[in-house]
Amino acid sequence: MSGRLRPGLEQAAIWLVLLLLIVIGASLSEAFLRPAYLANMLRQAAPVGIAAIGVTLVMVRGGVDLSVGAIVSASAVCAAALMDGDATRLPLALLASCALGAALGAFNGVLVASSPVSPFILTLGTAIVFYGGTQIVTGGTAKGAIAPGFREFFNHRLGGVLPLLALAFVLLALLGVALQRRTPFGRSLYLVGSSPAAARLCGLPIGRITVLVYACSGLFAALGGLALLARSGVSGSLAASGYEFDVLAAVVLGGTAFQGGRGGIGGTVAGVLILTVAFNLVNVVGLHYHAQLIVKGVVIVLASAIYRRIGATSGVSA
Amino acid sequence: MKNPSIFTTRRVAALSLAAGLLSGLASSGALAQTSPQQQKMQAAEKVDGARFKKAGPYTIGVSAGYLSNSWVVYTLQHIRYEASLHKDVKEVIVTDAAFKPAKQVADIEDLINKKVDLIIYWPVDNKAIQGALQKAVDAGIPTINTGGGFYYSPSTTSNAYIGQFDLGEKAARQLFKDMGGKGKIFAMLPIAGHSATVDQLAALRAVMKEYPGIELLSVEHGNWNRAKAKQITENLVQRFPQIDGVFSPSGQMSAGVVEALDEAGRLSAVVLSPADEYNGWLKLVVKYGKGGIITFPTRVGRDGVQLGVSLLHGDTVVRGRQVPSQVIPVADAAKYVMSDKGDDAWANELPAAWQPK
Amino acid sequence: MTAAHAWRRLRPPFIVWLLMGTLLTCALTVDGFIAPGNLANVARQVAVLGVLALGQTFVIAAGMMDLTVGALATLVTVIAAHWMDGQAARLWSGVAVALVLGLGVGALTGALDRTLRIHSLILTIGMMTVLTGVVFMITDQSSGAPSPQLAALANEDLHGVPLSFLMLALLTLLAHLGMHHTRFGLHVQAIGSSEEGASHAGLRVAQAKAATFVVSGVLAAIAGLLLLGRLGTGYPNAGSGLELDAVVAVVLGGTLLSGGRASIVGSVAAATVLGVISNVLNLLEISSFVQMALKGMIVVTVVLLNRPAAQGRA
Repeated sequence: MSGRLRPGLEQAAIWLVLLLLIVIGASLSEAFLRPAYLANMLRQAAPVGIAAIGVTLVMVRGGVDLSVGAIVSASAVCAAALMDGDATRLPLALLASCALGAALGAFNGVLVASSPVSPFILTLGTAIVFYGGTQIVTGGTAKGAIAPGFREFFNHRLGGVLPLLALAFVLLALLGVALQRRTPFGRSLYLVGSSPAAARLCGLPIGRITVLVYACSGLFAALGGLALLARSGVSGSLAASGYEFDVLAAVVLGGTAFQGGRGGIGGTVAGVLILTVAFNLVNVVGLHYHAQLIVKGVVIVLASAIYRRIGATSGVSA
Repeated sequence: MKNPSIFTTRRVAALSLAAGLLSGLASSGALAQTSPQQQKMQAAEKVDGARFKKAGPYTIGVSAGYLSNSWVVYTLQHIRYEASLHKDVKEVIVTDAAFKPAKQVADIEDLINKKVDLIIYWPVDNKAIQGALQKAVDAGIPTINTGGGFYYSPSTTSNAYIGQFDLGEKAARQLFKDMGGKGKIFAMLPIAGHSATVDQLAALRAVMKEYPGIELLSVEHGNWNRAKAKQITENLVQRFPQIDGVFSPSGQMSAGVVEALDEAGRLSAVVLSPADEYNGWLKLVVKYGKGGIITFPTRVGRDGVQLGVSLLHGDTVVRGRQVPSQVIPVADAAKYVMSDKGDDAWANELPAAWQPK
Repeated sequence: MTAAHAWRRLRPPFIVWLLMGTLLTCALTVDGFIAPGNLANVARQVAVLGVLALGQTFVIAAGMMDLTVGALATLVTVIAAHWMDGQAARLWSGVAVALVLGLGVGALTGALDRTLRIHSLILTIGMMTVLTGVVFMITDQSSGAPSPQLAALANEDLHGVPLSFLMLALLTLLAHLGMHHTRFGLHVQAIGSSEEGASHAGLRVAQAKAATFVVSGVLAAIAGLLLLGRLGTGYPNAGSGLELDAVVAVVLGGTLLSGGRASIVGSVAAATVLGVISNVLNLLEISSFVQMALKGMIVVTVVLLNRPAAQGRA
């Protein structure tokens, strides 16, 4: 059974890789030394990063959530539609879209918990349903309008440097880490992920845990949708398509494996930042647009491989 | 068992072949482009509707290359509106290829089977659907390319077009004029490979030949996505200490570009090209007093229907009817803004009942 | 072997019943479905996905996943389009180039999987991104053209049956034989069921797994050629999204995502069901957004109904 051997080293390893990338970046462009630029990257990473927090929890439990992009889009549309440009409706809009995300996630959780079918295919199917549903509601255009002040609030820089959205990302990540380490719920995820049989013998309510963790994933995806809204200002109905791959890559890069039972949000944050830094690096350096894709792909593969070397599993590649 | 080297002979051979091909392809020649004058002549050609003449009532099939873009949604509404004005049009059927050319081929085949009388379409990629369109024409169904650029081919009966090349050209000229004819610019273009992108870039380069003082720093692809355009611009701002102008005919992307420039404190030093009537952009034009508008009228949908119905009546029409793009200066932008609507809307003249919901 | 046992071995997977039921229902209720032109259209439309699903079945049977196939098919489409450039004389050299490319990339993926030992999902996502970048470095607009014979293969019929569908049928037969009647295929399924067990039994696990990627790559190349024939041009986004559709088809077809028992016929039947549904929804003039939602619901429902007796992820 794969355990958490040398977790300290694993966690450290991924942050080292991130640091290495930043150093490379700094040597190629002095922008990387500027706090404002780094803070900006943190903000860029926010939507994917926040969504990835939830998916990390799901994967620790041994599942996977491919509907995260669809839920991000759906909640962004929901929030924008309810806000409709009116600042007084802001709390309603935020609450409703979080509730929507959690509900969609719980739906996923019920499906996964009640059937031995792979969550990969189940959430792939529900992703299509959610995307379709979102498009039906919007009719193809983005719906609603952002309330004034919403974007300004999140883009305001503390001390002229740190955008509030970036701060929100960090806080949510810390919240997630606290959840995974300090609460019985979080700890149970690791047990269920590494050995469902043992978890059952311990009397853990696996079904309930499953529904709850997918609901969490939906909730974080909704928060990611709000972050996307704050960044881009418009909830285009396909705004987050493609997120599922980015999120998966980040989570796996960060050390959370598909088998479950190990990894964590700390690593995921590093993974998201690695992908963001890599993208910005190649953009800043001026590589041809299409070369950026090649570099991104290579980074994903190499970083995973390096990570795997450092990691302590005797795993199989499936 | 020890892992053998991954570089077996077979693999090396395969990879070398691929590498050789790639380098060969890189040097392959550019595609022949019809010149604007040629295009005008082709567009003026007459198309005789006699072979398409049939009695009503008519069913119109719309093969949308994509519907997840607010511009085409508005254009579709214009199509529906115009259809409602013709007593002999009974139905409009819409299919969506969601950016997949193979699906658009399938959609067109399905429309033919449904025995529509007219096909109005906008392509994901024109070349990919020529075969399917030819089947339609052979079955007596006129095909009208609507909203894209002018396309000259026997499978495309007629065009109601705006001309991405024309759009790009006018936008570039206005930009260079506002810049005083010299400076460094970058281009923010739509999805790589899309015909709009190809035409806009070609137009930019063509106009640049007349302005040797303009330097193109980089060509970027924002994919009509505001957030992406913003992110790319944030990086460009780091990369290039001097940016004098931005060529970005798409309002959605220009909105992202402007925000990034503003947050970097560089907006005042940069001249923006005019961009289309995307409401979010219009609001920013009014707010910052920059850029202006180059119209990309969604009412082209109505022209598409008009051409098609004329052909069904047996009349003669032109090969290409252009709905011209107009440059609207910054000062007049306020008239076009729809301040009560969200960003994702397009200035238009549709009656209220026909606005997309 | 008792009669019951024999029946269970031969029993077609659920998806085949679903396909027949769908065809019957649509023939009876949907106007225009059984018009000969329409059925031929559907068959043609299904061919590309069907070929991809064949290859994907092998990879999934081995317990992995190959998300490179969409981008690889696109790469083949674009390169073959350039090479053939519409010339009849270049047909066979173009086909050879395509197959070598598919084989090479598949072999590379297999080799990387073997040496790097990272999860195939992540590996193939990374490779898919790289391949997409390569495609766009070659061309950023649609260009080139297939040899006329290839276009004919993809678009024309033989006595009313589309040639591309006949090709799919032939490949299905070969794949079925390969999966269920050769040692290779049986080994692949064994490895998917239990890699450790297979290893202990002396099977050459690493080679077999790498070989499934080669199979998937070659079939992706064939799909790319068909796609080129169908589109008539090398469009740089031609195959995007097809990889997930292929995975969906394989899983709907009854092959377990965790690996093991595979059903080639099921994969092709599932691809056909998806194509039929898309066609029928168009005939019924249902909005594309509703189509999307319905497709997702069908996937979820079929997958739940397909519930295998024992295996599955906890």
